[in-house]
Amino acid sequence: MVFDTVSLTIPATAGHLAILRTTVGGFAARDQFTLDQVDDLRMAVEEAAVQLLRQSRGQRLNMDIETTDLGVEVRLLAQVDGDDPIIDEGSFSWTILRALADDIHVESKAQRATITLSKHRLTIPGGSAERDSR
Amino acid sequence: MSTEDRRATTKLLFTELRSSGDPQKRDQLAKLHLPLVEYLAKRFKDRGEPLDDLIQVGSVGLLKAIDRFDLDRGVEFSTYATPTIVGELKRYFRDKGWAVRVPRRLQELSLRLNKLVAQLTQDLGRAPTVPELAKAAGVSEDEVLEALESGQAYSTTSLDAPSGDDDDAPMRMDRIGSEDTSLDNLEHFASLKPLIDQLPERERMILRLRFFDDMTQSKIAEHVGISQMHVSRLLSRILEYLRQGFEGDAQY
Repeated sequence: MVFDTVSLTIPATAGHLAILRTTVGGFAARDQFTLDQVDDLRMAVEEAAVQLLRQSRGQRLNMDIETTDLGVEVRLLAQVDGDDPIIDEGSFSWTILRALADDIHVESKAQRATITLSKHRLTIPGGSAERDSR
Repeated sequence: MSTEDRRATTKLLFTELRSSGDPQKRDQLAKLHLPLVEYLAKRFKDRGEPLDDLIQVGSVGLLKAIDRFDLDRGVEFSTYATPTIVGELKRYFRDKGWAVRVPRRLQELSLRLNKLVAQLTQDLGRAPTVPELAKAAGVSEDEVLEALESGQAYSTTSLDAPSGDDDDAPMRMDRIGSEDTSLDNLEHFASLKPLIDQLPERERMILRLRFFDDMTQSKIAEHVGISQMHVSRLLSRILEYLRQGFEGDAQY
């Protein structure tokens, strides 16, 4: 299977979040995700990005989207001040992300905060979800 | 004034207006239904126009509706007036050449896709994928994406199924039943509670179903009786509202 990656860097301002949302939506939509899931992923990326922006000290916010065997993985990265967890596991934000993504991973290290979101593809009977031949 | 009273008063005023042509009756009718205009105008408030202007524009629609309404049709006036008022508001934005204006071609495709999504969801027992949707619509995947995206941009506010405190509005709350919408799980997000309390009941319920009961958008759509795309828009809007609330600047 070919692993595709899309990388995008945007200015760390709320006005540019729509670009992330659109990009991740377009990516997932081309990859056998249902509309529900595409929307989930868009909302999750927006929520994660908002959290990063709130604590970001840098000029840029970076996003990598990658196809994996299971689906897609989105990694959002920004510079932050400390190494405190970027999202508290008891927060509303965390609850939302938990509902929208299949897997979340949050890491703050060396003043760089990363939120990784995974969304698994549905296996569609008779569909081309397992596209190992392309 | 209760809904019943308003309906009765409306009927009476129309009867009097039609027989006497008294402009005062027309004014009274307009005043009585101004809350509907305000409600609908608020749906457009995120588009950068002052709410007062929108209410004024909507009132023009209301007056048109009053002049055209036929009591014998057997529909409630507010049901009849809603599309006229919304139409007036939409025209206002169209005439202004609004930034998020969507080409007619995309608007039409977006509407068509909305119907196809519902149909495919029923056939497949889950939401369709974009390739499936493209195939069913006979257009390319890119066109589907473009239309979906524009649909998102165009109606971030709910127009196709107004809800609110006007009982005459064509709401779909009847499909919801009397379930517990208390959002108990949200209780410990104390800071959010006042914000969530301000949401209309339907929005609260959608919030709960998606984020606490882990229901998919398609299932929620079926449950509430609106389209999946509409659920998607409402969810985005609710989250946006809660985020603004977090920043201390929320208005739903």
